Amino acid sequence: MLEQVSPSFLLFVPIALFTVAGACGVAFSRNIVYAAFSLLACFVGMVGLFAFLSADFLAVVQLMVYVGGILVLILFAIMLTNKISEVRRSNPSSNIVMGGVLMIVLITALLGVVFGFPWTVGAPQPFAATTETIGRAFLGSYLLPFEVAGLLLLAALLAAVVVARKEMTPAEQDGKGGTP
Amino acid sequence: MSAFQVVDLTRFVPELLLGGCILFLFIGDLLVRDERKKRIFLTALALAGLASAAAAVIPTFWGNVQAALGIESYATQDIVAAFSGQVAFDPVATVFKILFLVITGVAIFTSLLSDELPDRHMGEYYALLLSITFGMFLMASANDMLMIYLGVELVSIVSYAMAGYRPRDKRSSEAALKYVIYGGAASGVMLFGISLLYGLFGSTELTTMHHAIVSWASRGELPVVDGVIATAKLFPLTVLLAIVFVFVGIGYKIAVVPFHMWSPDVYEGAPTPFTGFLSVGPKAAGFALLMRFFVGLFVADGQNGYAATDGFMAMAIDLPLPAMIGIIAAATMTVGNLAAIPQTNVKRLLAYSSIAHAGYLLMGFVVLSVSSLHAVIFYLCIYFLMNMGAFAVCQAVRDRTGGELLHDFRGLGKREPILAVAMVIFLLSLTGLPPLAGFVGKFYIFAAVIERGGYWYWTLALIGVLNSAVSLFYYMRVARAMFLTEPLTDEPLRAKRGYLALSTVLVVPVVVLGLYWAPVSESIRGSLAFFRSQPMSAAAHPSVVDVREP
Repeated sequence: MLEQVSPSFLLFVPIALFTVAGACGVAFSRNIVYAAFSLLACFVGMVGLFAFLSADFLAVVQLMVYVGGILVLILFAIMLTNKISEVRRSNPSSNIVMGGVLMIVLITALLGVVFGFPWTVGAPQPFAATTETIGRAFLGSYLLPFEVAGLLLLAALLAAVVVARKEMTPAEQDGKGGTP
Repeated sequence: MSAFQVVDLTRFVPELLLGGCILFLFIGDLLVRDERKKRIFLTALALAGLASAAAAVIPTFWGNVQAALGIESYATQDIVAAFSGQVAFDPVATVFKILFLVITGVAIFTSLLSDELPDRHMGEYYALLLSITFGMFLMASANDMLMIYLGVELVSIVSYAMAGYRPRDKRSSEAALKYVIYGGAASGVMLFGISLLYGLFGSTELTTMHHAIVSWASRGELPVVDGVIATAKLFPLTVLLAIVFVFVGIGYKIAVVPFHMWSPDVYEGAPTPFTGFLSVGPKAAGFALLMRFFVGLFVADGQNGYAATDGFMAMAIDLPLPAMIGIIAAATMTVGNLAAIPQTNVKRLLAYSSIAHAGYLLMGFVVLSVSSLHAVIFYLCIYFLMNMGAFAVCQAVRDRTGGELLHDFRGLGKREPILAVAMVIFLLSLTGLPPLAGFVGKFYIFAAVIERGGYWYWTLALIGVLNSAVSLFYYMRVARAMFLTEPLTDEPLRAKRGYLALSTVLVVPVVVLGLYWAPVSESIRGSLAFFRSQPMSAAAHPSVVDVREP
């Protein structure tokens, strides 16, 4: 049994466990600040997974965008929101029985599939820079998804502004001379 | 996977025009100062964008139909996958694109009339609406899981904001929040399913997956990946799990049980013109995607590269896919119709009714035959007319009375007879009573299910018919409120002329298509061909999956 365990597997297990533990922290923590910091662990674990798979560019992007940007924004949002810790749960979770049954069925099926199916494993890649390949893919075979993602981000940006804007009554507008 | 070619852009002209129009709307928003004039100007701009896109789609559509009818000058249909095979341009996608453009056009008109949308923010509103249309185009033509996901997300993310569009309105914000949470969870599950599919097949392309499934079904082994021939007992279970997860994402878009919970709250809280759009546009796109996904993966290749589309291939029947879809369809109809009975809010009532209609439409996917796919597309065309009509009447009442409860509809027969009569026609058509268009649509669907034969399918059709009978009950509650109860006031409603015009324009096809539907039905029948390429080893030349009868 032990001789089947490869060194890379030994490296993979702790990284994966760290990531999953972070995700569990996000899901189960009652305190939203703790949840945000657990998300940090989860994101850092993802960086490790990408690095493990020799995806250097993705690892760095994950670190810069998710850890450096999004997580900091989430923390700011939490800190700047009043009374965020005083959570009043208006919709208590229901259907624990049905959810539990569904969970057991799904977990059994997924575990069976994950460990039972002979997934094809790609040959281990040498650790080489992937940035050029990704750039070529974006402007080559994946040009359309790349552009559509751009449109998606533009639309999402606009949608965020629409949701977040502060609507003024006509009286307030007159008072402020029409500035938004 | 071949690289991108500039010539692909020529097929992408409708989408490019839509994208350009979105950008022009931002600029147009800054050009006009007077807010009332701006609203009209932006509406005209958005409609012009749609019209130009339609002008680019219609010739393709026409050519396809003519070719299917065997008219000599149009020898072949236009079927190709462009952009490295990620987007399919085929007759099915084209017919859906036309449907989406018409739906968006009507939605723009209802938005112009609505009092719920403030003048000063129409630029963003139309730009977002057209982005949804762009996303729906992608959903209808995606041939790759990546494009499918991008299309679904483009539609979803923008819809969240649109549901919360009404400023300072608690219900609108609640709708948006519920929609985001539901949508986020559903798309996460879908993404997990996509990752399983990628792990199974080593590709995100539907055609590659299809060939692997065919290879499994015929020889019991998967094609060579990296020199390893995989044979595994667990293959069907793994595929089933992946399909179920992907179905969660699509099922949420079309609001089928058990992924329907968001829809009543969102429909009630969102601005009415957008609710009308949401109940038909993204739903139709979801069905288009489902069609593409199931036909792409599970419909067998026939002779000469033509598909022997007579339902799922054997492999998929071993997977119990038809049974699962059938049960979901039956549950969706029943839950939707039963939950609609006690509703007092007409928008909410229509929300449950649209859940029930998702169930009727899903029945077509149990069979997955030529006639059932034809029935689904045909019913979507009719469903859009009657449902948007009903929402338009709802909106007219709301603009004058400030509410959309049954209470607000009281005495509408006296106060605004044209709207009331139109509403009754829409509701009767939604029930599926002859001689209205809804009857023809439902008839096609039930006929396609019964045609397959077997007790199982007959039971399903029977459940559908019983459900239609139940639905008559709650639709008629609205009619009763309008005609048989004493109005609170005898004053005329004085609805905007636009609403009267719009409901008349929508009533005419609902009545006419109930009597003479051949042109619409035949052009859909002529457009039922899906893109499919040969297995990689056989040839690089794409061939056609033609699901029409030989």
